[in-house]
Order: sequence, then C-alpha cells, then structure tokens
Amino acid sequence: MQLQLDRYAYLETPLHRWDPRCKLVGMMVLIFAFSYVRDLRLLPVILVVSGAMYVYSGLPLSFLLSRLRLPALFLLAVAVILPFASGQTVLFQIGPLAVKEEGCLDLLRIAVKFFSILTLGIILFGTMPFLTAVKAMRGLGLPYILADMTLFAYRYLFEIGDDLKAMQTAMRLRGFRNKKLSGFSTLASLAGTILVRSFEQSDRVFKAMILRGYGQPASFKDEFQARTIDVVALLLLLSAAAVVVTTELLLY
Amino acid sequence: MHIPDGILPTAVCLGGYATAGAATWYSLRKINQSENPREGIPRASLLTAAFLVASWVHIPVPPASVHLLLNGLLGAVLGFYAFPAILIGLFFQAVMFQHGGLTTLGINATIIGVSAILAHLVFQIRKLFGPDNRTATGIFGFLAGASGIALAAVAVFALLVTTIPANIDVEAERTAIGILTIAHIPLMLLEGVFTALVVLFLIRVKPELLEGK
Repeated sequence: MQLQLDRYAYLETPLHRWDPRCKLVGMMVLIFAFSYVRDLRLLPVILVVSGAMYVYSGLPLSFLLSRLRLPALFLLAVAVILPFASGQTVLFQIGPLAVKEEGCLDLLRIAVKFFSILTLGIILFGTMPFLTAVKAMRGLGLPYILADMTLFAYRYLFEIGDDLKAMQTAMRLRGFRNKKLSGFSTLASLAGTILVRSFEQSDRVFKAMILRGYGQPASFKDEFQARTIDVVALLLLLSAAAVVVTTELLLY
Repeated sequence: MHIPDGILPTAVCLGGYATAGAATWYSLRKINQSENPREGIPRASLLTAAFLVASWVHIPVPPASVHLLLNGLLGAVLGFYAFPAILIGLFFQAVMFQHGGLTTLGINATIIGVSAILAHLVFQIRKLFGPDNRTATGIFGFLAGASGIALAAVAVFALLVTTIPANIDVEAERTAIGILTIAHIPLMLLEGVFTALVVLFLIRVKPELLEGK
C-alpha cells in the first residue's frame, strides 16, 4: 500500500518552493473565502482561480482526476436528489418527477464550490511532502500531542494497512470467504487483532523512542524561514480572499 | 457520514472548528493531567492508524458491503484520546482520500468525536457490574457502538437537511431526517454487534486495552 499524495511534492515550481507555513495560511483562508460564495456570478471566478492555480502548480491533470473519483460519487448522489427536492419553480418533467429551477441552481452552487475547494486542497497538500505540512502546522502553533500523534499515525498507517492485507490473504488461504454475514465474528476478531498488534507494537516503539531522546525539548525545531517573496505571495492570496468575500457581500 | 466541502455555510464550518477546538482543548487538558502525557502518544497514534485501517474492512451485507465508522469502539478503547484520534483520522481521510473536507473538518470532528466521547461514557457504565463481567462488557460494548453511530447519524442528517438547500420545505425536511435515520438503524445494529464482538475479543486477548481510560 503506497501513499500517492507525495508523488509530485518534489517538483520545482514557485508553489512547491513557497514557505509551507505561508502556503497553509494563505490557501486555507482562500478555501474558506470560496466556501463563503453564494452568488452565482462569482462561481466562474472561483472556478477559474482554482483551475489557474492548479495549472501553475505543475501538478498533472491525471493526479487531480484520480483524486476526484471518490468525491464524485457524493456529487452524483446530490445531483440525483437536489433538482427534484429543492424549490417550487418547475423547469420540466421527467415522468412523474419535476425538475426544479432552485434545485438545479443549488446543485450548481454546491458542485462548483466543492470542485474549487477540493482543487485548492489538492494543490495545498500535493505541493509539499505530508511531513513538511505537519511540521508547518506545528510551526503555526499546533499542540505537540496532535503533531506527534499525526506524525506517528502517518508513519504506521500504511504499515498496519499492509498487515491487514497480509491477514486477509492468510484468512482467504484458510478458506474464509467474506461474502456472508456469518463471517461477522471472524471480521471482528480480525479488527481486534489489528488493535492488539498495534497496541503491542506501540510499547516497543515508545521504548525505542525514549532511548533516542523522545520528549526532550529540542525534538521539534522550527526549520522554516519565510522569504520576502513568500510573505508577498501570502498577502496576495489574503487580498484575493478579501476581494472574494467583499464582492460576495456586495452582490448577494 | 463525513460532510464534504461546499455543502455547509461558512458560519457553520467556522463554528465546527470552534467546537472542535474546544473539545480538543478539553481532551488535551485531560491527557496532560496524566503522569506522563507523552507516554500515551505512541499508543494512541498507533491505535488511531489501526482504527482507520480497521474501518477499511468490508462487512458483507448481501448483496453489497459496508464500511463501519467505529467511533463508538474508538471511544470505548481510547477514552479522551478518542477526540484527537478522530480529528487526525478525519484529517487523513480529507487530505489523502478526499473523503470529508478541509472546511468541514471541524464540524465532522465535532459530530463524530463528541459521539465517540459519549460512547466512551456509556461503555464506562459496565464497570458498575464488576471488572470481569463479560455480559456487561458485551451489552455496553453494543450500546457504545450503536449509540456512537446513532448520535453521529442524527447530527449529520439534521445539520444537512437544515442547512443545505433553503428551498426545501419544513415537512420535507422532517420526512428526510426520518427516512435517513430509519435507513441507518440496520447500520447501528451492525456497528453495535461488531463493537460488542471486538470488545469481547479484546477482554479475552488483551484486557489492558480496555482498562484505565
């Protein structure tokens, strides 16, 4: 099991080189500004901005498309419900079902915001290694317990995932077929075994970490140094977010 | 169960971050009161990863299969570490798998995390019946698992139906909440039975996992 998120994190583009703390703050503010948009006239603007930033990030289109597969199912569910359930103005009939104008506009609003925010999120975490992102959050004041837990969980997530795969293969080789509810208690034992193995491993990990000095004050160092260009880029993004919010307030 | 980006109003998302921040602060305060707060971090982290992996297990419900949320089980096993564990798990899901969202991370963590803490409190009632009482462990394990998902489901549906489309009328809202909640009853039972089976397995194999949280 491999993490695909860091696949393009080492490209050489201005977005990749941007100070991670500035990038986190700037992109998150822009994401929240986009989520504030309700006026339909602003939808093309946020779509173009997120699209342009994606192109600028140098990330391939296939990377974006591959990450949109799962969320697209959610959008499909919304598309099936909203046009029929929301509003009173009937646009046209499909058999006994009436497609309503307000529902279609709600769907458009949700779809564009969803896609734009998702794209910005992919740019944010796709243009720096995940570990750098967590260190940047720590640099911005994330409590050490949360930062340590995130780093440890990340370190062991795919190892435990591989353990699960190995156990499932062993179960299949012994004749277990995961097709009926009768195998429920076996699956509960499988989940329990994963927890027990992780629990036992954590004791060993903790002892090994203590030997290596874990818990000493210098275990986290602020390794980031923001340049003038990083701060300018941050201010640019904050200004863009402010423009989006102000325009929304004036229009809606 | 995870609300994605673009659905909820920004005020609700920011409110979600505020409540998640408060709940995280409370959990961290409780954790910091322990003798050596760092000692529990590797254990909670590995269990966070293990819970995330365990939730990938397909449970066959013919003709399809489902994934369990396991927030009740997480609350039962991790206690006050459950909230940070859920916050981190949801962050991983949003960033790595685009499941949930960055703007809705706070509200998702609040809904799933608070129901996990409540499930933890439900599971603690078993101690009144004696530390080795398997029947009480099974029953309160079931209640913790079922209540964890029940509370989360009701909160998510109530939030979705009351905040998304302003054009849906009140009657339709009530019907939608009713239908969606009823549709989740089999899942609640499934999650409850699964949690009961896992805690009975743990009490047999590794009882320390359920102690002292």
